[in-house]
Amino acid sequence: MRRLILALAAATAFILPAHAENVTVAVTAIVEHPALDAARDGVKQALAEAGYKEGENLKFVYQSAQGNPGTAAQIARQFVGDAPNVIVPISTPSAQAVVGATRDIPIVFTAVSDPVGAQLVKDMEKPGRNVTGLSDMLPVADHLALIKEITPNAKTIGYIYNSAEANSVSTLAALKAAAEKSGLKVVESVATKSAEVQGATRALVGKADVIYVPTDNTIVSAFEAAAGVAAEAKLPLYAADTDSVARGAIAALGFNYFDVGKQTGAIVVKVLKGEKPGNIPAKVAVGTDLVLNKKAASAIGVTFPESATKRATKIIE
Amino acid sequence: MSQIAFWGAVELGLVFAFVAIGVYLAFRILDFPDLTVDGSFPLGAAVAAVLIISGLDPWLSTAVAMVAGAAAGLVTATLNVRFKILNLLASILTMIALFSVNLRVMGKPNVALLNQDTMLSAFFGQGVPEYLVRPIFVGLLVIVAVVLVWRFLESDAGLAMRATGANSRMARAQGVNTGGQIYLGMALSNALVALGGALFAQTNGFADVTSGVGTIVVGLAAVIIGETLLGARGILLALIGCVFGSIAYRLAIQLALSSDALGLKASDLNFVTAVLVAIALILPRLRRSGGAA
Amino acid sequence: MISLSDIQVVFGRGTPLQKQALKKIELTIETGSFVTVIGSNGAGKSTLLGVLAGDVLPTAGRVTIGNVDVSRKPTAARAGQVARVFQDPLAGSCGALTIEENLALAAARGKVRGLMPALGSKRREFFKERIASLNLGLENRLKDRMDLLSGGQRQAVSLVMATLAGSDVLLLDEHTAALDPGMAEFVMQLTDQVVTERKLTTLMVTHSMRQALDYGDRTVMLHGGEIVLDVSGGSRKDLQVEDLIEMFRKIRGQKLDDDELLIG
Repeated sequence: MRRLILALAAATAFILPAHAENVTVAVTAIVEHPALDAARDGVKQALAEAGYKEGENLKFVYQSAQGNPGTAAQIARQFVGDAPNVIVPISTPSAQAVVGATRDIPIVFTAVSDPVGAQLVKDMEKPGRNVTGLSDMLPVADHLALIKEITPNAKTIGYIYNSAEANSVSTLAALKAAAEKSGLKVVESVATKSAEVQGATRALVGKADVIYVPTDNTIVSAFEAAAGVAAEAKLPLYAADTDSVARGAIAALGFNYFDVGKQTGAIVVKVLKGEKPGNIPAKVAVGTDLVLNKKAASAIGVTFPESATKRATKIIE
Repeated sequence: MSQIAFWGAVELGLVFAFVAIGVYLAFRILDFPDLTVDGSFPLGAAVAAVLIISGLDPWLSTAVAMVAGAAAGLVTATLNVRFKILNLLASILTMIALFSVNLRVMGKPNVALLNQDTMLSAFFGQGVPEYLVRPIFVGLLVIVAVVLVWRFLESDAGLAMRATGANSRMARAQGVNTGGQIYLGMALSNALVALGGALFAQTNGFADVTSGVGTIVVGLAAVIIGETLLGARGILLALIGCVFGSIAYRLAIQLALSSDALGLKASDLNFVTAVLVAIALILPRLRRSGGAA
Repeated sequence: MISLSDIQVVFGRGTPLQKQALKKIELTIETGSFVTVIGSNGAGKSTLLGVLAGDVLPTAGRVTIGNVDVSRKPTAARAGQVARVFQDPLAGSCGALTIEENLALAAARGKVRGLMPALGSKRREFFKERIASLNLGLENRLKDRMDLLSGGQRQAVSLVMATLAGSDVLLLDEHTAALDPGMAEFVMQLTDQVVTERKLTTLMVTHSMRQALDYGDRTVMLHGGEIVLDVSGGSRKDLQVEDLIEMFRKIRGQKLDDDELLIG
């Protein structure tokens, strides 16, 4: 055992070279997938625009926990030990692990739908302590409006999610409340891992008129499986993140996670410039893009109304 | 590797030492391949977190979490002993069911404990940095667990459990109710795993239903690394091996995380784990053949 | 006293493989007597032993051991009354446990097992003494794992294990059959010595007719699930191995196969 510790210590010695950079920003996500990766890249972009360039005056560290909260905890300790200027945790468990690991190092979380419920901040307006960040609570009412606009005959909305993901569960509650107001019904289908996405989607065939996929890490990582079933059953498939449109959704009014990352990055810049995180209000991300997929839509006989095509940020032919 | 990262790895290793001891009891003592732990770890976290939030004393909440873990073990044992379902399959059934149970217990997939008083709160702010308080506190609990499990396994009752796993026919001939031993062992094993889960929630500030993923692999890796480091001579050494194995596993992961110089990334973790377990398995063989040559 | 009354054992009842292993067995064994049991393969020897040990619960009939009706009691529940040495040296002890741990296990046979340390200094002393009496030098290896011992050594230790806690009957299941001749002889001598010294009520199943006649005070021959011979006292003394073989011939109506019965 002692030999092992010595070996580890020796290894440590040459892993920690001196850094010339002025500031360090450490980013961690619970898992790797396009939306979360886009958020990370957005943070980097915002930093670059504010004059923090990687390799020049910025050290940008990124670690993914591979979906394992135990690893997330270890990454949190790793970051706290390295004492960067700001830690940016992406997603709820990663944010909790980092917040649990330090009361000193500034934290700017992102892609957390309910920061208060997750006990990251006591109050969105006055977060206090060393934590602030950006919530990505979905504007579900806008999403329902889009579904009605493109597929006016839809009465029942199928919702695929992983019941283990905090974000998806709070989105479901919000969706149900909004649907009731506009006279729509919601049927749920659960996939607890990506291998179950296909089956969960198939379970909605015949029950739902359209399918709506939230920003669920499990479902989004196997989005093609859902898209395949939906196309086969000629069910219009909507997503809550724009990246999924290219992967088979007919439309998405969603956060462009690159933009979400950029908004997060802007907060990070404020902190780097000396503002206390506790004094920066935690905000809900703004700015949604409408992305349409004409090819996928026409394949199942859906045509977009002009109102939609006119304001779309991007149309995939 | 910074001090905080090092002690963070030690702390996590100590938390998972409970898992390793539980896995040792099931796999090595009872010869029962038990996957229940993937469910009883988050169950312990969930029960402790929910009770602490409801205002119950953290120590009591943790004790209840252990009882919940024991109950999960009993379910697996019942499926196996009473209903003759193959042990591995019985444990998989319980594990799957626990996923839903954990969601029910918490009411949502993630419960935060960041603002609650935990078992550790009383020890913070006494002049010792938090990053040291946590491993010391968990370490003391681990020592208590190791001593208790060791004394148990070397008692008459413990011998009966060991005989059940080693040679159940002989055990029965010696008057050991082998079915009863499986109930007892599985309850004990999963209670320890649930304790690990409860401590994980309290040291990291949250309980998450996904935190059980791969618990069995981590536990097994720790047991095997421990056996490689300390050999399999005697119960006490085996138990200490579980603890050191668990810490060594976490330190190796920490090394992977902090070794940008070696070109390793967190996404290489699974690979590192596999290599680690493989090395742990191969080393004793190499040593033996080296000695013979 | 041990008594089997009207014991019937049917395996695989209601299937095409149905087999009546024991048919209306009546057998009473007086306390302190040493009964040897012989019979060809499939005669029902092992089943008879299983019925006494609890591994086989009889389809019909009553088993009493020391005035206790154990007919429906499984093995573990009657272990306090039944001591046993298996044929396979690996079966009767735990290879992964040390010699002294195996002895401790056996010393608590049939008793409530508590949380006290299994190996106190008093017990160790006692075990050492008992193992030393084997004259195999094992008393200095009590902390060795059982699987380091040879088959014969393991059987010798198993015999000690069987006598550590009291019992109403000692069951020996061809316990020398898997050993080389020298070791078999040693273990058999040891058995005789232990049984005589401790006046143990014993039932020994054996393949060897020589053993069956040389040891014990009564011999029972099984065939087809029935007792076909039950001799003791003077008539047993006069009996020769050749007579037994002759009897077998008559019963089976055919030439004996050397594989089935060991004459030596």
